[in-house]
Amino acid sequence: MELAALQQLFYDAIFDKEGTNEKELCKLITTANNLTANEGIAIYRGSILGKLSRALKSIYPVCYRLVGEKFFEATATTYIHRFPSKSPDLGDYGEHFPDFLVNFEPAASLPYLPDVTRLEWHWHRIFNGEDSSTLDLKALGKISQTQWGDLIFHLPKTSILLESPYPIHKIWQINQSDYEGEEYVNLEEGEIKVFLWRQGYDMRIDLPTEEEWQLLKAFQAKKPFETICEDLAVGYEPAHGVSALLTQFVQRGWIVDFSV
Amino acid sequence: MTTHFPPSQIAGAGIGLRSQHYQDILTHNPPVHWFEILSDNYLAPGGQPLHYLEKIRQNYPITLHGVGMSLGASDPLDLEYLARLKRLAKRIEPAHISDHLAWISIKGHFLNDLVPLPYTEAVMEHVAQRILQAQEFLGQRLLIENPSSYITFKESAMPEWAFIQGIIDKTDCNLLLDVNNIYVSATNHGFDPIDYLDAIPAERVKEIHLAGYEKRKDYLFDTHGYQIHPPVWQLYQTALKRFGAVPTLIEWDTNIPAFEILMAEADKANAQIKKVS
Ligand SMILES: [Fe+2]
Repeated sequence: MELAALQQLFYDAIFDKEGTNEKELCKLITTANNLTANEGIAIYRGSILGKLSRALKSIYPVCYRLVGEKFFEATATTYIHRFPSKSPDLGDYGEHFPDFLVNFEPAASLPYLPDVTRLEWHWHRIFNGEDSSTLDLKALGKISQTQWGDLIFHLPKTSILLESPYPIHKIWQINQSDYEGEEYVNLEEGEIKVFLWRQGYDMRIDLPTEEEWQLLKAFQAKKPFETICEDLAVGYEPAHGVSALLTQFVQRGWIVDFSV
Repeated sequence: MTTHFPPSQIAGAGIGLRSQHYQDILTHNPPVHWFEILSDNYLAPGGQPLHYLEKIRQNYPITLHGVGMSLGASDPLDLEYLARLKRLAKRIEPAHISDHLAWISIKGHFLNDLVPLPYTEAVMEHVAQRILQAQEFLGQRLLIENPSSYITFKESAMPEWAFIQGIIDKTDCNLLLDVNNIYVSATNHGFDPIDYLDAIPAERVKEIHLAGYEKRKDYLFDTHGYQIHPPVWQLYQTALKRFGAVPTLIEWDTNIPAFEILMAEADKANAQIKKVS
């Protein structure tokens, strides 16, 4: 048999539920003294599903805590059958888990779960993401007044703006192993906006004001500074409106670079 | 950035580097000869794990060990993966890079787990070409590791050790001999592990792996989650007598214990290595 055909048959035998591929594959496997072909295949199936499931567990520990071991494993198994791994790096696996959960009937009673897992996915990617430089204030100081309108400010590459009708940051927080505060979350407290980012190697969850959020969105869209000021209908003279916010952003480390 | 790394040659017993032990290692600088990392866990472009790895590299030699090359696959070789690996190697300056005589993917879909190959002349030629291509791309000779297995294909026309010899002849690669894997496969498939050792060319063995299997009802399962079992220590002694003082790694991937337990296993291996030095 061609190697590719044999490998495809093996792959299908691991994941298909009817067992027809497994039957075919068994014909190609030697029965050893201790292990039948079916037993051998079952060992691989267990090992493969176990690895992928553990990969999901390590990326989604809060989800795991929220739903418990049994539910998580059943959910992971369904996900694994629907979304194959497409990378040799298991850190790339599980990207579609939040969207998958949106339509996953058994989890319908936990409507905040997709958004919580979305936060976890981005946490994982940002934690392992490219290191950002810190803003070169000297270089920024050298930009002439006439060029300021054309400046584009950059948020850290390792950052994301997330919105949710649920307080996902609180749900996330009380499910950390070192959390010691109040164990209560009011799910009705209203929509929240989260800026998740990394400062050096430290992860940060910030809750911007509406004003800050608009500006973050504008920076994320890579709009020139002048356009941003016009859009937000405020002047950009120093110490006023957008400029004042910009200063705060710089102090917080939210701006890591600029380009003209 | 200028980094000052110690020389990358390895000798004696090394330990598999796991994130649980970063702080231990960075604070106490334990007397370990070298560390091996699972390269697939450090392919990200940045972040804290890479940062810790670089700090640890400043005090220890490092080897890169992965499963991601999928050397036995029928897809084209994954050049993007190899590029990520090469970038890591450039950053860390490892003693060497290793992967397995197995496959983990088909048509871009990954099992992320090592599956054995049918041992035929045609497959040998195919895998050899891929190893040559990978070596060319990475600019260095690879160490290829024997996997543990739970099935053998009827098509196989030769034992694993003959297949390995053929691969060496065709690619000039070196070997990472996993003594635990030999023992696990020998038990599962009913061959004599000594026959395996007999057939291995001593000068090619550049690293040995030791790990703890799990005894299940009718077979041994390779979990890397236990201390090394007595029969594997025994087989290891035989291997050292034949192959000399080969650098040896303590592999531990599940139920990761306190660092001292890994140190104790490494001490045991060092004592054995000393006997043949
Ligand atoms: Fe190994």
